[in-house]
Amino acid sequence: MTYQLEIEPLGEAVDLAEEQTLLDAALRQGIYLPHACLHGLCGTCKVQVVEGEIEHGDASPFALMDFERDEGMALACCATALSDVVIEADVEEDPDAIRQPIEDFKATVVELNTLTPTAVAVFLELDKDIEFQAGKYINLHLPDLDQPRAFSLANAPSNGRIIELNIRRVPGGQATGYIHDQLKVGDELKLSGPYGRFFVRKSSPDPVLFLAGGTGLSSPKSMILDLLEAGDDREITLVYGQRNGAELYYHDLFTELAEKHSNFTYVPALSEPAADDNWEGATGFVHDVAKAHFGGMFAGRKAYLCGPPPMIDACLTALMRGRLFERDIYMEKFITAADAAQGLKRSPLFKGV
Amino acid sequence: MTANKMNMREKYQRMTRDLAWKPTYQKEDDVYPQAKYEGIIIHDWDKWEDPFRLTVDAYWKYQAEKERKLYAIIEAFAQNNAQLNVTDARYINALKLFLTGVTPLEYAAHRGFAMAGRNFPGAGAQVSSQFQSIDELRHAQTQIHTISHYNKYFNGFHDFNHMHQRVWYLSVPKSFFEDAMSAGPFEFVTAVSFSFEYVLTNLLFMPFMSGAAFNDDMATVTFGFSAQSDESRHMTLGLEIIKFMLEQDERNVPIVQKWIDKWFWRGYRLLALVSMMMDYMLPKRVMSWQEAWEMYFEQNGGALFDDLARYGIRMPKYWEVSVKEKSRLSHEVWSIFYNYGHAAAIHTWLPKASEMDWLSEKYPETFDKYYRPRFDHWAEHKEKNGRWYNNTLPMLCQCCQIPMGFTEPDDPTTICYRESEYNGVKYHFCSDGCKDIFDDEPEKYVQAWLPVHQIYQGNCGGASVPEVLEWYHLKHGQDNLDYDDSQDKANWNKWKGLTEEAAQVMKKAANE
Repeated sequence: MTYQLEIEPLGEAVDLAEEQTLLDAALRQGIYLPHACLHGLCGTCKVQVVEGEIEHGDASPFALMDFERDEGMALACCATALSDVVIEADVEEDPDAIRQPIEDFKATVVELNTLTPTAVAVFLELDKDIEFQAGKYINLHLPDLDQPRAFSLANAPSNGRIIELNIRRVPGGQATGYIHDQLKVGDELKLSGPYGRFFVRKSSPDPVLFLAGGTGLSSPKSMILDLLEAGDDREITLVYGQRNGAELYYHDLFTELAEKHSNFTYVPALSEPAADDNWEGATGFVHDVAKAHFGGMFAGRKAYLCGPPPMIDACLTALMRGRLFERDIYMEKFITAADAAQGLKRSPLFKGV
Repeated sequence: MTANKMNMREKYQRMTRDLAWKPTYQKEDDVYPQAKYEGIIIHDWDKWEDPFRLTVDAYWKYQAEKERKLYAIIEAFAQNNAQLNVTDARYINALKLFLTGVTPLEYAAHRGFAMAGRNFPGAGAQVSSQFQSIDELRHAQTQIHTISHYNKYFNGFHDFNHMHQRVWYLSVPKSFFEDAMSAGPFEFVTAVSFSFEYVLTNLLFMPFMSGAAFNDDMATVTFGFSAQSDESRHMTLGLEIIKFMLEQDERNVPIVQKWIDKWFWRGYRLLALVSMMMDYMLPKRVMSWQEAWEMYFEQNGGALFDDLARYGIRMPKYWEVSVKEKSRLSHEVWSIFYNYGHAAAIHTWLPKASEMDWLSEKYPETFDKYYRPRFDHWAEHKEKNGRWYNNTLPMLCQCCQIPMGFTEPDDPTTICYRESEYNGVKYHFCSDGCKDIFDDEPEKYVQAWLPVHQIYQGNCGGASVPEVLEWYHLKHGQDNLDYDDSQDKANWNKWKGLTEEAAQVMKKAANE
């Protein structure tokens, strides 16, 4: 039996399995709810149950008082659902978040474009327009695979009918292997979306900085195209890194955009340029190149991070050492079940990064 | 949800920060005279993120219900004579140490947070400090009620506040807190909320609470639950103050690092008392000090400092010494207490054979090699010549005030001595950590009230142990000495129907 958990004031809805705690369900969908002890003693994860029935589980009588139970409070780390549930949690509503319905789509492959020796651009035509905020992702269902795979949308939201996904081959990966080896123009697939809480905070006037590496370019590409199309005139910088010139896909696109838009600066970086790259740009990892470009000082900006975990980790340190902190840093954060279960192993110093 | 209903955050904002105001009749610096002298630079107090959005109104409701529940259980405990259900009366000595050592600290924390709250110019920090101040008062009161109950049945609880001012080992927690309280508001909160309550608290709380559960002391377990629901709020305050200072200005980073270094070491030395509680004083053990240190400091603390590294903060200085000491700390400290068991308000004893085997198993590298022979020797001495007590007063560390019994970081057979000279006077330290703290603020620590110095200066009732005991308000033959020779043990045996053994012990106690 599966119930639905709706989380106010975010308006996000997630599935809830029987005996699954409210906190676990939220975290697995990448929705952060405050929490600490994870076993009903500290009260950090207290939420208001607005609708539906829950079971309190092992909530300590000192962490969840009788009067609070009477008022419909619950500890998300212990509470399980007995029906569909709506809760109000102590999380902030983001003024830039747009509530977009998650829908199912039928998609037809209309173009496959080799980007690099390891990455392919897949263009899919949908049976209806998808409405999405730049930065969000879709879940793609592939034949013979139980679980759908998540891919960020690489095109601007202005085109909701033909979407673009950039997919790198993961060594030994079933899904990416299928896409690289078997997918062909004309194939039909199913997908659902848009998902995620990664989007540009347009309401803040601060200049924006995108740090992208590997196949992390998709979301920043969509976000930058969206900003520039809308004539946004704030300072926009993209620091984009790949290993060598052959992997540096969409280099020409961003070079052109930088020539056309005086507020957009493009800083490509190669970590191991090949001899025949004749590389004249910056050499090094994204975080080091960004540090050099900004003189080590990032305060006063909004930063958007996209890339493999070691890159994200190095960038976070570089940004914080450069006086830019959690409240101004955004990234797509997938909290895996293992992370949630080991909640105590990570320090609770940071919430969103 | 209707649109005009305030969400949790807005409600909190209205009920706390929006009630604050900027002074206009007086200069802000005059209203908050301690806000700047520590060197911490704050640009924008509105960036303070309140970890718990709690209003005064809700706070009273919570605490009132907690009190009702807790006292109902304490009362039931008393009515059922549940003190008779603990494993054995040796366990009570862990309680004596905790309740006489920590209760005055709870009260000191109550005062300290009231002062910090008064001195922070930001409403968020004021409110958090104020709640914590009231929490600490509640904890102190609850613990005093517990002391009052145990005092009816066991020795050593009768005058905790007087003892706190005078007794040698109680000067260790006392000086720790007075050091923090005589610092500025930022250092105080870093010391207590971050270093102690966040980084080290699990090492105090876990052995105390689980130790109580393992030894069937349900009153203490309930107190633990009741306090833990406050404790999480305190820990988050500790994290927030650190983040806030580090994010507000780059120039705060080295100051915060220095405080983290200092208060890690101060806290770690204070926990030396807990290490012996875990390994020697609980009849049923939860885990060894070494295991606890690995889990709560090396792993959890390591994860925290990995994150703090993003701000340019590194692990506290001398943390690696604490790791080198983890297999000896509890043995060295229990040995000190065994030496001076005639001058303490707790009973001491030699571990039983089965307990020594547990120690061998938990400390395979050190126990059999260094400490078992020592206990065997004392057992033999007791057999032949009576229980050994050391009548030479120990040298104390000028900083942590613990007798200088700790060994060199790389040599467990050599006592570690460090010294500094200040204004022509020589001062002694148990470790590099304590010496560094002194060297940084010598004017502060030359004023330390060191129990042994005070005895030798004639300020403690006399120069002999009985005179000093009288001055401590301790009764020789009742509150002190070996557990084997104690009234506590004799009474316990009587209550538990072990009459023959009780008669023997009583006879022995009478001869003392």
